[in-house]
Formats: sequence, structure tokens, C-alpha cells
Amino acid sequence: MVDNLYKAFVDATHNVFHLMLDLSDISDHPADEFQCDDAVDIAIPIVGDLEGDVIYRFPVTTSLNMVSIMSGMQVEEVDAFVTSAISEIANIISGNVLTVLSTNEMTCDLLPPVQRQPDENKEYELKTSCCIQTTIGLVCLDIRLNRVKANHV
Amino acid sequence: MLWKDKYELGVSQIDAQHKELFRRVESFMQTSRSAGNWEEKVPKLNETLEFMKTYVVEHFRDEEEYQKSICYPGYEAHKQIHTGMVNYVLEVSKQYEDSNFNEQLMQQFGGKLLAWLINHVAAEDQRIADYAIKKGVGGNGR
Ligand SMILES: [Fe+2]
Ligand SMILES: [Fe+2]
Repeated sequence: MVDNLYKAFVDATHNVFHLMLDLSDISDHPADEFQCDDAVDIAIPIVGDLEGDVIYRFPVTTSLNMVSIMSGMQVEEVDAFVTSAISEIANIISGNVLTVLSTNEMTCDLLPPVQRQPDENKEYELKTSCCIQTTIGLVCLDIRLNRVKANHV
Repeated sequence: MLWKDKYELGVSQIDAQHKELFRRVESFMQTSRSAGNWEEKVPKLNETLEFMKTYVVEHFRDEEEYQKSICYPGYEAHKQIHTGMVNYVLEVSKQYEDSNFNEQLMQQFGGKLLAWLINHVAAEDQRIADYAIKKGVGGNGR
């Protein structure tokens, strides 16, 4: 299940980056710890058969590059516009994953993105992290979910 | 220019509307992110916002009509996405008016709108064209 989730998120990130940012040179690797001082953390809360958060960690340079590509404008600082645009991308990736999960009879919903860091004090049954490397920088995903219905998958 | 040819569906009415939407979003971003005093940008932004409120609804309606005309199986789900966006636009513009034209709200709105539009047109709307082609009813000889 953890492996499936990992793959589903990596694939969805791939597809969305390819489609929206025209990036094709993308690779991924599991990440135990991702150290980056200057990053924007976007948490997408998930509710339903799986509950928890998926946290997207976009380093500042990655965030600025992504929004510059999308807007065709030079973007120099992380402001409300940038945060909102990358939050929507995190939302789109997560939504695509839920579509895949729903074909496995897992029903989940997303709550609106929030800018926050992972809660280290909570326990999660399904916990995995990955780093996705692109030509415009890294993105790391922290998946922290609990199964609500144990009979699934 | 934000528009890319790969967004084309091959349905001239819909493609023209998409191009117009991209143009308006671009002009909205350029105005809202230009240097200078926020108060001075408000009239132009309000004008674009008002235009978008009407145009988005018209476009969604026309696109849904087109989907019906080709018996697109994803019609209901697509309509729900449209409704969600219309509600979002109306909610934000109400908050914006209530806040007496707060800049942060419009910057947030611009960011979400940009990413949403690119994904919706490049992914969701494209599926309509894929279906039309599969069915042999696609436009532009695609
Ligand atoms: Fe559309
Ligand atoms: Fe649409």
C-alpha cells in the first residue's frame, strides 16, 4: 500500500509537471530526510478512507521557477500569488492521485491547501517521502496517512 | 503569451473562448503584479474581474452544450468542476468587495486562477477532444 501510494504520487507529479510546466527530465528517489531551509510547505489534508496529510515541500527556487514558467513573467519572491499558484498545483496532483485511488474503491476527498509543516508528533500507518528532481529544482513529498477502513487494499 | 497551441481542442468556438480566457488572465496578472500603487490598479482589475465572472459562465455553458452534443460520458463530472470554479470566483469577488479591494486576495486569486486554467484546459478539456476524435466527430480534421 505504501509502495502504491508512493508510486501514485510520483506518477501524478510527473504528469502534472509535464503537462503544466513542459518538464520532461524528471527523476525520483525515496527521501528519509529532506533538508532545505528555504522552502514553502503546502499541506493537502485528505479525508475519507485515508486520512492525514500530504505535504509538498517546494524550495524557494523551485517555486519561483514553476510560477515563472506558468505565468511567463519574472517572479522574484514568494508572495501570495506564488504560494497560491503552487498550492493549486499540489491540489491538482493530489486530486489526480485520488482519481487513481477511486478506481481501487478508495474514496477520499481533499480539503483546501494550507501552508504548514508536518506534525512530527502524530503517528501514521502509511508514511513515506520522496524527492522529485527536475531541471528547475527539487520537490519533496511527505505522505502521512492512516487507513480508516482496514478492509481496503 | 500564455496560450499554447497544444491547448487546442479543434472546436473553433471553444478554442476562441479559451484563448480569450488566457488573454484576460494574463492581463489580470500583468496589472495586478505591475509596480505602483494598488488603488490605481483597482478599477482596471475590477473591470477584468467583472468580465471574467460573466465570460467564464458563458464559456462553461457553451462547453457543456458541446459535450452534450457529442454525448461525452464525462459530462456530469466536468460540469461539477465548472460549478466549483464558478462558486469560487463568486465567493472570492464577494470577499474582495467586502474587504474594500484587498490586494492579497487578488494576488491569491490570480495564482490559483492561472494554475487552475492551465490544468483545466490542458487536461480536463483535452479529454473532451480526445473523446470526439475517438468517436470520429472531432473538429479541425484531427
Ligand atoms: Fe474550457
Ligand atoms: Fe471545461
